[in-house]
Amino acid sequence: MSDSPRSASPPSRGTDEGSLRAGIGLRQPPRAGIGLRQPPRAGIGLRHPHYAEVIEGKPPLGFVEVHSENFFADGGAALAVLHDARERYDVSLHGVGLGLGSAAGLDPWHLDRLASLVDRIAPVRVSDHACFSRAPRGKSAGAVHANDLLPIAFTPASLDILCANVSQVQDRLKRPLLVENLSAYLSFADDSIPEPQFFAELARRTGCAMLLDVNNLVVNALNIGEPDPVAACAAFIDALPDGIAQEIHLAGYSGSREAGDIVIDDHGSLVKPDVWRVYEHAVARFGAVPTLIEWDTDIPALDVLLGEAERANAVMRGKA
Amino acid sequence: MSTPAWQAEAERQRLLVEGILAPRADASSLPTRESGARALRGLQAYRVNAGASADRALAAAFPTVQQLIGAEDFEHLAQDFWRADPPTRGDLAQWGGGFAAWLGAHEQLRDWPYLTDCARLDWALHCCERSADHELNAASVARLGDTDPSQLGVVFAPGVAVVESRWPIAAIHRAHHDSGASFDEVRAAVDAQRGESAIVHRRGWKAVFTEVDAATAAWTRHLLEGCDLATAIAQAGDGFDFTAWLTRALASNWLKEIRVFAD
Repeated sequence: MSDSPRSASPPSRGTDEGSLRAGIGLRQPPRAGIGLRQPPRAGIGLRHPHYAEVIEGKPPLGFVEVHSENFFADGGAALAVLHDARERYDVSLHGVGLGLGSAAGLDPWHLDRLASLVDRIAPVRVSDHACFSRAPRGKSAGAVHANDLLPIAFTPASLDILCANVSQVQDRLKRPLLVENLSAYLSFADDSIPEPQFFAELARRTGCAMLLDVNNLVVNALNIGEPDPVAACAAFIDALPDGIAQEIHLAGYSGSREAGDIVIDDHGSLVKPDVWRVYEHAVARFGAVPTLIEWDTDIPALDVLLGEAERANAVMRGKA
Repeated sequence: MSTPAWQAEAERQRLLVEGILAPRADASSLPTRESGARALRGLQAYRVNAGASADRALAAAFPTVQQLIGAEDFEHLAQDFWRADPPTRGDLAQWGGGFAAWLGAHEQLRDWPYLTDCARLDWALHCCERSADHELNAASVARLGDTDPSQLGVVFAPGVAVVESRWPIAAIHRAHHDSGASFDEVRAAVDAQRGESAIVHRRGWKAVFTEVDAATAAWTRHLLEGCDLATAIAQAGDGFDFTAWLTRALASNWLKEIRVFAD
């Protein structure tokens, strides 16, 4: 069962306060006579080691999510696997390369490839990050692509850039985008807009929604030395507009403040207890939202991922 | 739009990318909230990510070169190449087209002159495996019997490529990927400077190569470059067996269609 419409309407572009929540897909209450909607089931990131097991075993998942860029090739085995997956599951396309906050603008090639993939796969959601990736090298050189999720500033100009790029993507794809909050290892001295407000304004101006990465919230809270990281993350969530979060990501991180190092969002371990606590708060705040277990390094047996997904399901059912 | 504030963001972003690509980590000129050791650790996190991405991407595209050089040295080379010729696309599988030539110009790799051509073969295989899926237009093959060869060209399957070398690139590749292949044979072939050529193509989903003689490689390359059949036949000379080549090409899935230029 789809957990959101397969073909979405073009994004609305609110331009006044009255349209604050118009474009972010607020869930309608269930209509009388058609029964209560089942809460969404959690999904997992579909990664190469699990291709065959997922396709052949079809474990009960709400959706699978893939990194869009891994399927930009014109053909080949990976694309065939994705088509197989699409026959069995809703697929969410999660990008890591648009560089939505890039002042250098979007790469037209990248947007073309993404649009082609969206046409082929008919994903249930399309997302990318509030980051930059492209920048000129040297004063006159063309843009290089850092192939990383680099931090943007939380300034009015940065918001303008992000809004312009998000709108360009949405206009091309003819559907709303979900934009994910980042884990950042550097921030900027002149940041002037609180991050929740930054996302609220982004959603208001472009009609996009938010992919709320709970692990990223916790990683950032730890790295800036919040005395109570869980409370800080809960306050962040409380400051977001109703309904803005249309998907949630959960993952593991490595490192700790006690070790005197920075915490790294490496997606390489079980979801940490503090992340589960913030997730419970997010579900209490936004209701059950399609939730993904992300695991990208040291990928474990599929059963481990399914166990994490089941735990997220339990939270969404209110039985954690 | 390009306001001063917008340009300031662009400059901020340029500085961070420069900091990531610089030979040494130095966060002192970055306009970050963090300072000192904490800023350096943050910058270093991105530099480590970049290095890991470089190594992972190039190791996937150049598995033979990685084995020839060794994983540790390959990682250093990948990071150097990342700084010298950074990606311009957000799909890292697209990055590496310049790696073979860069290896060829690398002072410290001069003792391994075959590395460049091994890299070219790796890259051709990598690109072939990601190329568009296709089916032969079988009906078009009939044009060979009813059309003037000067009006005919060959459209190859996506990803088909010819790699010609004055080094034994096929033997080197087999030795590093096929169990049972002989390194003694490779050493002898390298010592003898035995040239080898390969046609890269798909077998199902997998990219493979077929070792071919120099005449077949040159013939196939001419056709890939768009040469008409009559000219290619004239260049190949009397000894070239077109029928045998065509049989092999059809059996090995090298072709997409026979095209009539006038169409």
